[in-house]
Amino acid sequence: MSISTNEQFRKKVDRANKTARIIISFGGYGVIISIIFILLFLMYQSLPLSFSVSIKEMLSFSYDKPDKRIIAIGLDQYQEVYYVLNDKGYVEFYRLSDKVLLLRDSVGLNKDEKILSISKGDYLKDRFAVGTNSGRIIQAEIRMLPEYGKQDRTIVPHFKVKDIYQAEIPTDSIPAHIEELVFRQNDDYDFYVWINHAQELMLRITDDYDEYRKDLTEFLGESKLTKLEMDYNAEKLIAGTISGELFWFDISDPEEVYLKDNWKVSDTPVSSLAFLIGSNTIIIGNTDGQVTGYFPTRTLDNVFRFMPVYSFDTHAAAVEQIYISPRNRTFLTIDSHGKAHLNYSTTNQTQIEFKPFDNTVQAGAIAPKSDGIILIDSKNQIGHYKLEDEHPEATLQTLFGKVWYEGYEKPEFVWQSTGGSDEFEPKFSLIPLIFGTLKGTLYAMLFSIPLALLAAIYVSQFSPKWLSSVIKPTVEIMAALPSVVIGFLAGLYFSPIFEENLMAIFLVSIVVPVVSLFGIMGWRLVPEVQRMRMPLGWELILTFALFIISVWLSFSLADTIENLFFAGNIKQWLYDAWNINYDQRNSLVVGFALGFAVIPIIFTISEDALSNVPDSLTSASLALGASRWQTVYRVVIPAAAGGIFAAVMLGLGRAIGETMIVLMATGNTPILDLSPFNGFRAMSACIAVEIPEAPVGGTLYRILFLTAFLLFIFTFLINSIAARISDKLRKKYARF
Amino acid sequence: MVNMKTTLRDNNLDTKVSAKTIIETIDLDFYYVPEEKALKTVNLRIPEKKVTAFIGPSGCGKSTLLRCFNRMNDLIIGSYIEGSVLIEGRNIYDKQVRLEELRNKVGMVFQKSNPFPMSIWENVAFGPKVNGVSSKSELDDIVESALKQADLWREVNDRMDQSALDLSGGQQQRLCIARTLANKPSIILMDEPASALDPISTGKIEETIEELKKEYTIVIVTHNMQQAARVSDYTAFMMVGEMVEFDQTNTIFTNPKKKLTEEYITGRFG
Ligand SMILES: Nc1ncnc2c1ncn2[C@@H]1O[C@H](COP(=O)(O)OP(=O)(O)OP(=O)(O)O)[C@@H](O)[C@H]1O
Ligand SMILES: [Mg+2]
Repeated sequence: MSISTNEQFRKKVDRANKTARIIISFGGYGVIISIIFILLFLMYQSLPLSFSVSIKEMLSFSYDKPDKRIIAIGLDQYQEVYYVLNDKGYVEFYRLSDKVLLLRDSVGLNKDEKILSISKGDYLKDRFAVGTNSGRIIQAEIRMLPEYGKQDRTIVPHFKVKDIYQAEIPTDSIPAHIEELVFRQNDDYDFYVWINHAQELMLRITDDYDEYRKDLTEFLGESKLTKLEMDYNAEKLIAGTISGELFWFDISDPEEVYLKDNWKVSDTPVSSLAFLIGSNTIIIGNTDGQVTGYFPTRTLDNVFRFMPVYSFDTHAAAVEQIYISPRNRTFLTIDSHGKAHLNYSTTNQTQIEFKPFDNTVQAGAIAPKSDGIILIDSKNQIGHYKLEDEHPEATLQTLFGKVWYEGYEKPEFVWQSTGGSDEFEPKFSLIPLIFGTLKGTLYAMLFSIPLALLAAIYVSQFSPKWLSSVIKPTVEIMAALPSVVIGFLAGLYFSPIFEENLMAIFLVSIVVPVVSLFGIMGWRLVPEVQRMRMPLGWELILTFALFIISVWLSFSLADTIENLFFAGNIKQWLYDAWNINYDQRNSLVVGFALGFAVIPIIFTISEDALSNVPDSLTSASLALGASRWQTVYRVVIPAAAGGIFAAVMLGLGRAIGETMIVLMATGNTPILDLSPFNGFRAMSACIAVEIPEAPVGGTLYRILFLTAFLLFIFTFLINSIAARISDKLRKKYARF
Repeated sequence: MVNMKTTLRDNNLDTKVSAKTIIETIDLDFYYVPEEKALKTVNLRIPEKKVTAFIGPSGCGKSTLLRCFNRMNDLIIGSYIEGSVLIEGRNIYDKQVRLEELRNKVGMVFQKSNPFPMSIWENVAFGPKVNGVSSKSELDDIVESALKQADLWREVNDRMDQSALDLSGGQQQRLCIARTLANKPSIILMDEPASALDPISTGKIEETIEELKKEYTIVIVTHNMQQAARVSDYTAFMMVGEMVEFDQTNTIFTNPKKKLTEEYITGRFG
C-alpha cells in the first residue's frame, strides 16, 4: 500500500468518524432538548396560575353633572358602556371611550320624591329596585346587550320600569321612607324586604296571582336594624343590627317565614352585608372595619348554623360598601375613608388594597366578567380599572392546602373541578390526586416487587436452563401487553369476578402461604437422599401443584366460611363491623393490574443484574461452605443491589406515570383514604379524564398542566434519585 | 509424632511416601461430557500437613482434579465422576456428605482473587458466619487470627471497614487466603494462587504458604517450576488427565522416574 492511498484511507475514516459523531450528538442533544422543551411547555401552560392579581387604572374622568347624587353605577360585559343612576331616578348610559350619552331614561319619580335605597336583584341580569322617600318601591331593568353589525359590535342599552308598588302610605304627619331595601327575584316570586321610617321590617313576596306581606318586626325585639341582605335564591334573609347581631329568616316558604337563628358577629354595628355568588357565603363588614365571612354548615347538633369561616384584612374605618364579582368569589370592600380592598373569599385573602379617590366612594361595581371595576366618588369622579385575576381560585393554598369550602364541615383537601351550575365553586386540591397516584403505586408495588424479585432470583439462580428459557420470553410478552388491555380486563372483567369471589380471594391469600409452609415442612421430612434425586425444575411443578390445591381449597371453603364467620356476606360484614365500604373497582384490583404492568420491568432488569454477578463470587461463597440460598442472599443479591434497586425504581416510575390502567380499573373518585377496598384518582388519569372538558386557557386547563408538570417532576426525580443510588450501590458492591 | 509408613498401591507410583494420607483418590475418572475423560484413573494419596504441588502442561486436568476435592465440579451441569475421593477415609461423593460441611473443611483459593464486594472484615468473617458463628467478639478473634496467619493483619488492621476491593492485587489474594483460613479448614486447595501477581506479592504468598503448612494440608496447582520446587514437599506431575508421577518434590526435580517428567521439568515441552 502506498503512502497516498494510506492517507486517503485515513481521511475516509476521519470523515466517517466525524459524520457518526455528528449524528450521534444530534440524537443525544435532540433527546435532551425535547425533554427541556416539554418541561418548558408544561411550565408555560401552568405558570399563569401563579401570576398575582393586579388592578390597573384605565380611565379617570369626571361625570359632568357634579350636583347629582349618584347612587348606582355599572358596566356592560365588554366594558364599553357604563350607566349611572342618580337619586332623582334618572339613569344615563354613556360610552366609555368618548363619553357620548347613549340613552337617558327615568324610573319616573314624582316631584320631591328621592331614592333612599337601592338593591340589585341579581348579579347577572341587572334587575334592581329602588325605595323612595314617599313609600314607593320601583322595580326596573337595565340591559346592555351587544348587537352585531357587519364588522363591529355595538352595545345597545335598554331601560324599563317593571313594577311600581306603594309599600308604605305616607300621611301628612308621618313620612313613608323606604330606608333600607333588598330585592330578589327567583323563578316563582319577587321578594322585597325593607325597613321603613318607623324601623319596621317588612316583607313582601309576590307573583302574578298572590301576594304575601308580613311584618317581621316582632322577631327583632329591641334590636335596631342597620342593613338587609338576601341570598340570590331568595331563601335566606339576613338583617344586621346596630349591636352587631345578625337575624336569619328562612323565607323559602312564603307562607311560613320564620326566624331561624340569630347570633352576634361583632360588638360594633353591622355596616354592610353581601352574599357572594353561590348564595351561601355572606360577607359582613362592621363599623370597626372588620370584614368576615360566614356560611351555614351542619353543626354537631345536626342543625345548620352560619359559621365564621373567613376573615380578611381590617379596614381603618367602617366598611360601607361591598361589591361582589358576578363570576367568582372575589369581592370589593370599601370603607368610609374611601379605601378599597379586593378580597377572595375561598383563599381567605385580601389581595390588593388601594385608594381610588381622594374622596369617599359613592357607588361601584365589578364588571360582569370580573375583569374590571368602575367606581364613582362623592365628587362624581369616575374611575375605571382593569382587574387582572384570571385564576383566583388557584393559589398554593387551594392547590396544596386544606380549604374550607362552602357547605363543608371543616377545611379539607377537595378535588371537584366541575359542577352543575355557574355558581358552583371549582375545588382544585391536588392533594387527593397526588395521594391517588401514590396509593395506586403503593398497592402495585406491594404486589409486584415481591413477585418480580422472587421470580428473578429463582430464574437467575435456581431454575434449570429450559425453564428460564420459557419464563423469560413469557414475561417479555407480558411487557408487550398494551396497558389499555390490562386496564380493560381488570376493570370490566376481573373486578366483578373479584367482587363475587371476595371471600375466596381472601382465603387464597391466607391459604397459599399456609399450605406452602406446610409443603416446605413436609419436604424437610423427606430423606435428603430422595430430595437430592429430584431433577431440577421439579420444585416448580410441585409448588404449582400446591398452589392449585390451595386455590381449589379456598374456593371450595369460601361459602362455608363466609356463612360461618361473616354472616353470609363478607362485604356486608366488612361494612357492618368495620364501616369499610367495598367498591367494585378498588385499589386491590388496580394493584394487581398495575402490578401486572410493572412486573416485567422489575423482573427483566433485576434478573439481568442477578445473572451478571460473576461466577467467581458465587464460587467463592460456595467454596467457603455457604449453601446455595446463603450465597444468593449474602453475595448475589448485595452484588446485584444496584441493578435491583434500579429495576424497582423504574417500575415505580412506570406505576406513577401509568394512565390507562388506573383510569379503567378504578372508579376515579378523588378521595383521601388508604383503604384497599375503595378507589382513587391518580394524577395521570385525572388529566386524561378532564382535559377534554377543560376550556383552553381556563383555570382547570392550567391546573391540569400543572399536574402534568408535577408528574413529570415526580418521575424525573425518582429516576434521577434511582440513577444516583444505584450508581452508588454499584460502586460499592459491583466492582468485580 | 507417629509417622505411618504407607505404600502406594498404584503401579504407576511406586515411591514410598512417608506421611499420614489425608486425601486419597481411587480410580478416579472425571467427565465434563459423557465418554470424554478429563481425568483418567487417577490414584493418588496426598499426605497430611504437607504442601503438595500439581504440575503439568496447560489443560492436563490439574484444576479439575483439585476441584474434585471440594466438589466444586458439581456446579458444572452434566459433569460426573467415577471412582472415589476419600478425605480422612470418608468418600466425599457419598450421598450422606453435606456439601457445606465438606467445603468448610476443604477450603479453596482461586487463581484470580475474588474478594466479595464488602468490607475486609466482612470478607474474612463470611465463612464463619455462614457456618453458624454469630457472636461479634468471636468473629473478631477469628478474623484477626486469620488475617495474621495470612500475613495481612499489619497492613489492614486499621481499615477493616474499607471495601476489600480497594486492596492491591496481592493483598486481595492474601485476603482470599485469610478468608479461607477463617473457616479453620484442614485442607487448603490453591489453584495457581500467585499466577496473576508480581514477584514481590508472589514471594509473600509463598512465605504465607510456608507458614501455613505447619497446620494445614495444602494442595497447590502451579505452572511455575521454581515455585513448586520452593514451596512443595510433594509434587504430582500430570499429563492429559493422567497422573504421570507423584513423589517427593526433591525426587521429582532431581531424579524423576519417568522420562516424560524429566522432559517436562527440564523444559523440553509444556
Ligand atoms: N467447564 C468445563 N467444561 C468442559 N470441559 C472443561 C471444563 N473445564 C475444563 N475443561 C476441560 O478439561 C480439561 C482439563 O482442564 P483443567 O482446567 O483441569 O486444566 P488445567 O490443568 O487446570 O489447565 P491450566 O493449567 O491451563 O489451568 C481441558 O481439556 C479443558 O478443556
Ligand atoms: Mg487450571
